[in-house]
Amino acid sequence: MNDVAPILLCEDLVVGHAGQPVMSDINIRLPAGKIIAIVGPSGCGKSTLMRVLGGLDEPMSGRSELLGTDLVHATAIERESVLRRSGFLFQGAALFSSLTLRENVELPLREFLPIPSQEIAQLAEYKLALVGLADAMDKLPSEISGGMAKRAGIARALALDPAVMFLDEPSAGLDPVTSGKLDELILKIKESFGTTIILVSHEVPSILRVADFCVYLDSDTGRMGAYAPPKDFLSPEAHAKAHAFFTLARIS
Amino acid sequence: MRSKAVSAKRHNAFLLVNYSPPKYLHVRMSHNSARAPTARTEVLSDGLTLVVVSGDWTIQDTLPKISFKGDKVKVQADALGAFDSSLPAWLYVHFKNVRQCDLSALPPRLQSLVEMAEKATLSSDRPSPPGFFENFGSWGIESSHSWGRAFDHIGQTAVGFGRACIGRARVNWSDFTLQLQTAGVDALPIVALLGFLTGLIMAYVGLIQLRQLGASVYVANLVSLAMTREMGALMTGVIACGRMSTSFASQLGSMNVSQETDALRSLGINPVEYLAVPRILAVTLMVPLLAIFATFVGIFGGMIVACAGDLSIEQYLTQAILAIKFKSFLVGFIKSIAFGFIAAWAGCYRGSVAQRSALGVGDAATSAAVLGITLIVIADALFAVIFNLYDF
Repeated sequence: MNDVAPILLCEDLVVGHAGQPVMSDINIRLPAGKIIAIVGPSGCGKSTLMRVLGGLDEPMSGRSELLGTDLVHATAIERESVLRRSGFLFQGAALFSSLTLRENVELPLREFLPIPSQEIAQLAEYKLALVGLADAMDKLPSEISGGMAKRAGIARALALDPAVMFLDEPSAGLDPVTSGKLDELILKIKESFGTTIILVSHEVPSILRVADFCVYLDSDTGRMGAYAPPKDFLSPEAHAKAHAFFTLARIS
Repeated sequence: MRSKAVSAKRHNAFLLVNYSPPKYLHVRMSHNSARAPTARTEVLSDGLTLVVVSGDWTIQDTLPKISFKGDKVKVQADALGAFDSSLPAWLYVHFKNVRQCDLSALPPRLQSLVEMAEKATLSSDRPSPPGFFENFGSWGIESSHSWGRAFDHIGQTAVGFGRACIGRARVNWSDFTLQLQTAGVDALPIVALLGFLTGLIMAYVGLIQLRQLGASVYVANLVSLAMTREMGALMTGVIACGRMSTSFASQLGSMNVSQETDALRSLGINPVEYLAVPRILAVTLMVPLLAIFATFVGIFGGMIVACAGDLSIEQYLTQAILAIKFKSFLVGFIKSIAFGFIAAWAGCYRGSVAQRSALGVGDAATSAAVLGITLIVIADALFAVIFNLYDF
């Protein structure tokens, strides 16, 4: 794993809120085309870490590189360039409520691609069809369910064929069938587009199904507990709290 | 022979592609020999349309246009270079409605990218924009609904006040004290400024006209009567619309978006009673007090101009006191109670029916101010007629 140039690299990273560190000693080296899940108890800083890894927030200290760019020392232009090559799905999907799903997906395409409107419409239609929303393209976000909103959020994140995608709790609040379909979609995106995916999740079955690697954040110590393939956490030799988290969540 | 050649090229092309994470957005793909994307069609003897795609396909390129007839299509790749989602999107959009589309000759990854896209069961064409009559009809229906909702809200507010009077309503009294502060004390500076300037302007305009008639002294009558009967209440009502209607519409609209009003309903609490009654009560109590304040400040503003012109302070004050009757004060006071109620109700009503979106909340705030000011002016006209009829 060390031989391959990592798409995401962080060393001794410390992240926090309002000047207070929440999680420290984060060391991750992730090769391209893999899925990494960030797990841990509620409030341990998973979403905060994801925002820092994606370049939306600044770390408190340490090194964080994404797509070969040092986000800590990057200029505004470099940071923007990295953000344009990244796709984000936020917890509430964050769709623009005054735009239809089609217009939501078309927005980044219109802003960044010098191509005719007809082709922009084609790309948006395809991206929405990829997530199974071909029938709901002209609906407003207020007219669709939570699961559909999540999928529409993924379609918008996919609009510019990002090299890396950040998904914040993609299957939270979804029924097992919809959640399973979303897992399949995430795997298909990885396989077909070669996209690297960083996801925050509580859903252990979903993590076991899709993730290649897993970061466990230990809220008691405020440090990264473990970084390994998720199946390793099921063995009793694994990090004790991560093992307990995985086995308990699996039983429940 | 032909199909073998294409097949060999297909595999080479696929190796070339290997779909590494794209590095575009204003950076063309780092293919030294990037070729424009092309597509050609050929109708074979059995009615099958053969579509051959080649070149490099990126989402920054203008893609080729094709036209074909028939419902049997076979797509092949010939010297296909690098591609991103533009090629599967192009294939999906062009062939989604073709009855029989054979993609088996394409690289497996490309094939899977096209097949991943779920076909729409409904027409995916954009709905045509509604015509004039459709728009007019929709407007009519929406207006009638809007009136219905407005009367329903007025009714609920009246019932809420009634229940509050007999102590049976669940009212958020902490909101009431907070709104007393916001609608009353916090508004003093802006009411003082606008009241002062209104009196000042009236005195200035009046003085110029009355001086020509040698009746400069009556400028005190003009300013004091206008401020007491009309302008004090009207200006304060308009200020309340600008400050409180928009604020209430935004607050209640945001609560709609975050389902807080639904949460209240689920707890068996009527949101109109709990949220609207304390706000309306607070503003209805505060606007008359502010109107009295604005009246005095306006009369003072008029005095500055009058005294800078032809009148002494004593003359102005004596004339003003003679001009103002208790009836005039009562007229202004009654109006300001009504204006306060209207301003607060407009905000609460528009907020409670706001669409659950950022745009909806913005629209609610705008329409609350517009509705409030319009209703205040209409009410003022009605008051003028009523007070005139009863010689008030």
